[in-house]
This record gives sequence, C-alpha cells and structure tokens, in this order.
Amino acid sequence: MNLLGAGILKGMAVTLKNFIGSYFDKERLNTLEYMWQNDKSLPKRAGDYPKEEGEQLRPTTTVTNYSRNFPMLLHDDGEPMDTIRCVACQICERECPPQCIYIEKSDDKKERPGGKPQFYPATFDIDVSVCMSCQICVEVCPFDAIVMNSQFELSTPDRFNGLLLKRGDLLKSNQYYHKIHPEEAADRDKRIADDKAAKEAKKKAAEAAKEAKKKAAEAKAKSEAEANSKEESKDPSEPPQTSTEHNKEENTE
Amino acid sequence: MNEVTAFWILAAIAVIGALFAIRKRNLVHGVFSLLVFFAGLAGLFLLLLAEFIAVVQILVYAGAVGILILFAIMLTDRVTGKDAFRVTSRGSFWGTIIAASVFLVLLLPTIQEIPQVDNPSNSEEIVKQSTVKALGKKLIHPYVITLEILALLLTAALIGAVTAAQGGHPAKKKISIE
Amino acid sequence: MNWELIKDILLATVPLLVIFPTMFALTTWVERKALARIQNRIGPNKVGVPMSRYGGKLSLFGLGQPAADGIKMLFKENIVPTGADRLFHLLAPILSLIPAMLVLCFLPLNFPWLTDEQNSVKAFMLDGAVIFFFAITGLNTLAVFMAGWASRNKYSLLGGMRAIAQMVSYEIPLVLSAVVVVMTVGSLNAGEIAKSQDGWNWFVFSPWGLAAFIIFFIASLAETNRSPFDLPEAESEIIAGYFTEYSGFKFALFFLGEYIAMFAISGLAVTLFLGAGDGPGAEAYPSLKVIWFLAKICVLIGIMIWLRGTLPRLRVDQLMSFAWKFLMPLSILNIFITGFAWHAENNNEEYGFTIKAIIWTASLLILYLTAKGLDKVNRANIKPRTYQYGE
Repeated sequence: MNLLGAGILKGMAVTLKNFIGSYFDKERLNTLEYMWQNDKSLPKRAGDYPKEEGEQLRPTTTVTNYSRNFPMLLHDDGEPMDTIRCVACQICERECPPQCIYIEKSDDKKERPGGKPQFYPATFDIDVSVCMSCQICVEVCPFDAIVMNSQFELSTPDRFNGLLLKRGDLLKSNQYYHKIHPEEAADRDKRIADDKAAKEAKKKAAEAAKEAKKKAAEAKAKSEAEANSKEESKDPSEPPQTSTEHNKEENTE
Repeated sequence: MNEVTAFWILAAIAVIGALFAIRKRNLVHGVFSLLVFFAGLAGLFLLLLAEFIAVVQILVYAGAVGILILFAIMLTDRVTGKDAFRVTSRGSFWGTIIAASVFLVLLLPTIQEIPQVDNPSNSEEIVKQSTVKALGKKLIHPYVITLEILALLLTAALIGAVTAAQGGHPAKKKISIE
Repeated sequence: MNWELIKDILLATVPLLVIFPTMFALTTWVERKALARIQNRIGPNKVGVPMSRYGGKLSLFGLGQPAADGIKMLFKENIVPTGADRLFHLLAPILSLIPAMLVLCFLPLNFPWLTDEQNSVKAFMLDGAVIFFFAITGLNTLAVFMAGWASRNKYSLLGGMRAIAQMVSYEIPLVLSAVVVVMTVGSLNAGEIAKSQDGWNWFVFSPWGLAAFIIFFIASLAETNRSPFDLPEAESEIIAGYFTEYSGFKFALFFLGEYIAMFAISGLAVTLFLGAGDGPGAEAYPSLKVIWFLAKICVLIGIMIWLRGTLPRLRVDQLMSFAWKFLMPLSILNIFITGFAWHAENNNEEYGFTIKAIIWTASLLILYLTAKGLDKVNRANIKPRTYQYGE
C-alpha cells in the first residue's frame, strides 16, 4: 500500500538533492558563469558584431550546433553580392508572422554562377527586435537562401536603428553556415546537390522522352497511315470499340 | 474627528455606491459600485461596534454575493459592457410603493428601539450582547432550531440550483465530457 | 485630535509596513536563487554595489537584485491597452495590495516596543480577527477579476475567471480547516488562539491539527496562486493570466500584493497551527516571540518555494475535483473528529494518558484511511483525457 502523498515527498527529495548538490558538485551546473570583459565596449549597432568568423565576444559563451537565433542570408563562394542565393521572390516577407522582413526587389537582373540571370534584393532588412525566431522563412524559401544564424551578441544602445539588420549584416558565406551548423549545412548541401542532379536527370529524361515520343509519334503516324490505307479497303461503317466499352461500364455498375 | 463625522463619510460612501449601482449602464461597473456600497455598510456596522455583523457583511455580501453576480455576468453575453441598452422597469410606480413599504416595515422596529439605546446603561448591555461569543452562544442555545431550519433551506436551495443547472433528471440525461 | 491614539496606531502599523515589504524583496531573491539551484543553475549573482565606472564591484551573491528589479519596474513604461477600462485597470493592482496589507494587522505579532496595554488596544485586535482575515483576503479575488476584465484581453479574462473559480473553491477547505482550531480554543481572537498554544502546545502536534494544517497549507497555496495551483497566471497556457496587460509599477504592485498575501496567509497558518510566537526561550524573553513568528513564516515560504520547484501545474479539472472531492469532505470529517476527541478528552480526564492514546490512534487511522479512500475513489474517476481535435 502506497503512502498517501509519497510521490510528492519523493519529488521533493529529488529537488532537495539537486539544490544541495549544486553547491558541492560543480559538474551538476549546466550553465557557465558569465565572464566579464571590461576592455571591450559594445558596438553601436547589432550588425557591427563580428560576422564572418563566428567569433563570440565572450570566450566562455557557447552555442550548440542546433541553436538558432535570427535569420541570415547565404551566399556561395565568391563576392557576396555576386553569389547571393536570394532572388528577392519575397515569399519569406509574405510568410513572416510578425512581418519583420522588408525586401525591395532590384530593377535589373544579375548573372549567377551556373544559372540564369536573376533579380536580387536591393534592400533586405530584418528587424530583430520584432523577429521571433520561428524559422518559417527558412522553411518556405525555395532557394535555400535564408537560414538561421546562431549569433546572439546583438545588444546595442540604439533600440530602433541599431536592431535593424541590413543586407550587408545578414549576408554570410556558406562556409560560415557549415561552421555553425555542420550537420544541417551538410544535409542542405546534399539536398541541393541531389535536387540539382535530379533536375538534370529529369531534364535529360525529359529530353530523352521527347526524343522517344517524337520517334514513337513518327512510328505511329507511319503505322496509322499504313493501317488507314488497309482499313479503307475494309468496311469502315461500324466502330466496334465503343460498344464494348459501354458494356464494360454497365457490368461494373 | 468623532463618530458623527465617520458616520457621515461612511453613509455618503454607501449612498453614492448604491446610486452608482443603480445608474451605471456598464454591468461590471454596477457590480463594483454595489460592492462599494456593501463596504460602506460594513463600515457603518463597525461604527456601531457590531463587528461580527460587519465581518459577515464583507464575507457574505462583498465576497460571496459580489463574486456570484460577477460569475452570472460572465455567463451572459453582456460581458464587454459596451451595449447601449438601458434597463427600464415599466411598473416603477408600484415598485416604488413596495420598496417604500418594505423600508418602513424595517424602519419601525428600529425607531422603537431608539429610547433603549439612548439609555447609557442599556447601550453597554447591547454592546456586550453583540460580541462574537455572545452571538455564538445565542445561536446555539435559544435560536438553534431557526439556525438549523435556515441551513436546511439553504441546502435545499443549493440542491435545487444543481438540479436546475443540470437540466432535468440527472440519471436520465447522460452527461458526457469529451 | 487624540495624539496618543495616533501614536499607538503608528507604533502598531508602521513596523508591519517596514518588515513585510523588506521580506518581500528578500524573498524574491531567495526564490530565484533556490529555484535556480533546484534546476542546477546559479541564479542571480551579479547585481551588487558598483565600486567604479570600469568594473570592480561588491556582488554579495546578487543581493542587489531586488533593488535592481524595483528600479526597473519603477522606470518601465506604463502601457494601458487601447480598449481597456482605464479606471479599473488602474484600481485593480491597488485593490489587490490593500487587502493583503490590511490583513497583516490581524496577526498576533507582539512587538517588544508595544506595552501589553497597547497590544490590547491595538487597532485591529478584534474579537473576530480570524473571520475578518478570511473576509478580507476574499476581496483579493475581486481585484484579480477586475484586472482580468479591465485589460480587455481574452487571456486576462480567462485568468480572472480561473482565479475566481479556484479561490471560491479553495476558500471552503481553508475556512473549514481553521474551524478546527477555533472550535478547540473557543475564540476567534487571534491573540487568544496564540496564547492557548504557549508552551509547545501547538495544534500541529495533534492528529486533527496536523490534518487541518496540511489542508490549510494546500488551500493557502491555491488562495495565493502559488505553484502547483498557479492556473490563473499559467504562462504556458494563458501567457500571464490576469496581469498579461500590466507593466511597470502596476505589475510591481500585483507582484507585491501576491507576496504580501503569501506572508499573511502563512502568518495565519503560524497563528492557528504552529504556535504563533511560541518557541525555545519565548517564555523567558517575550521579545523573542516576534522573531520566532517571522522565522516560522519564512519556513513556510521556503516550503512554498520548494514545492514550486518540484510540482508541475495541475489541470483545471484536477484542481476542482481536488478541492471539492478530496479536501472538502476530509476537512468536514476533521471537524467531526475534533468535536468527538475534544469531548472524549475533557469528559474522561480520570483515564489520562490511556484515553488520549486511544483517541489519537483512532483519529489518525480514521483520517488517514479516509484520505486514502477518497484518493482512490478520485483516481478511479480520472480517465485519460481525450481531445476533440488533437491527436
């Protein structure tokens, strides 16, 4: 027979053990104490924090491979603006629940490596004071152009302009993405490659099919012409096919 | 500042609260003004050294009845209090007469008691009789039957309310919670 | 003007207005620290006294945190929703603080600087102090409802409704468990109840007193919206419940009111069950009584924090059935047992220890078995919840 309220007492014993243990056993503590560095002053804008290296201001702060904070724009190897993946389709702008993304489409098209000329975002702003890190923009992007960054050192003294990340602040290389989220980036790259290969294959298949169809059509036309010439010699008044089909339908009903 | 000033202040609070309770269009505002009226009344009871009555006034009226009214309001669709409708009673003439006569019936015994209260020796006696202990003893000794009948009445009302809320015979009506 | 009376009133009330808000400030810090340690974190440890502009400071385990919180609250923007009822939105936090503060006066805290005479004429040493306590704490519900309604926010209103339903339900076991003590002492006066427990004659040291104390403590958790009964302000369900739309100092007032209510109801629990100011050395040095009283309050608050770190939040239906189907029958039974035991003890004094032993074991057994049975019946009725739309 269980003692009444034994579950509560058991739970309280567990929390008590944690409470006391956390004072004696440093291994228990799952957070590290925040180290103060007085020699570095805060940048004026959130975008001014170190970008490319993924370096954090404080040496002890850690982020895991799966943490996410705010979105960033990806570009492939090369000049950021020449290899930007975003084509300013504005899907993310429309899908963003708190509407923190602002995009202006460019007037001209730009050549992309290994692709057609595309539009590019003339303006791409994300207001990180509004962004709620939901990752929906990442989900909807058909070009794998926007992914989540794990950079969190974004505090600034300016509440309005300081927290508005511009296109230049958002642009990160694919290598940086590989550095902060290795598994996710590898998956994504693999998928892009697969998609590309599949597309190629499909294209090839389509071309082949086209070819085959063409050939088949030619062959058919040939045979039909032959048949027609034969049938013409027979009696052409009764088409037998339609009546059989009709009977079939009635049976199934 | 003496008792008279306190009386007039409390009386003013009570009357103003009651007036607001009647005149306010917003139901929730009305309920809260009614609670102000109850609080003023409790203060008046305290002034008369009838502290148990004052406590019960707060506990039962400001606490229980006020919350019950609020509950009832929350169950209606007038919660927002935005509606511009106005409650007007048609038989206001007869209503006034009935209210006045009830008030007189309550007032007459009180007026008759005044000569006894004016007598200082008597008023002390009254105060002594109205302590919590004395009240409790009276409730148990001479008035026990009344108390029990009242309790029975309230229980019957409670069961009736439950039955009414369930809507018919509970055994016949199958209640399923999904 | 009666200056003597005013002096007496000030002497009796000003200490309350100093001690309890100070305790509130410290409790917020202790609570954050303790919860952090329970979750294997460190908790606030940075805010302290800055020594120079470029770092270097006295952090004192983060004891500056309450001050920092207070300053932050003071300077935060006061946001009132456009659709809100501005007057009620302003009144609600004030109304939530007033009953909590007022009720502190009924606690039998015999400050050493008050003579016995002053203590007896103390403004609030009423004859019906205990029932006054319940009457006035009940008004807190109205403030919660007022806040929920005035915010014009669905979540706030839901929180307000939950608060009303919960407080109305738990008021009953709360009062019924206090009845046990009132019956035994034969007085509603807090001072007399305290006096009757002097010399380690506390009410928890009897089976019915223990049962009543446990019921009272559980119900008081629900009355003050403490975890695991914090449904009116459940963050994960309805954001912050009735104070979703509150910010800045109004929010701070709510916060203060909630903690003061915790102290007040713990104080009542100490008065009714834990021997008020009684403790080692209290007989010889009466001034120790205040310290013992406050220490006992602190212990109860500590248990509340501990429970908050341990138990998850109840569901609404569990909350209701726990109050009506478990606590209420148990507390009514407890009243009967107290009556029988009191009569049996007082009418058979010649048997002394034997009769006492029999009564105690019998009542302990009856109470425990009833609780166990009620628990079993209630558990049998709880079925896994099915959802209409979710899978």
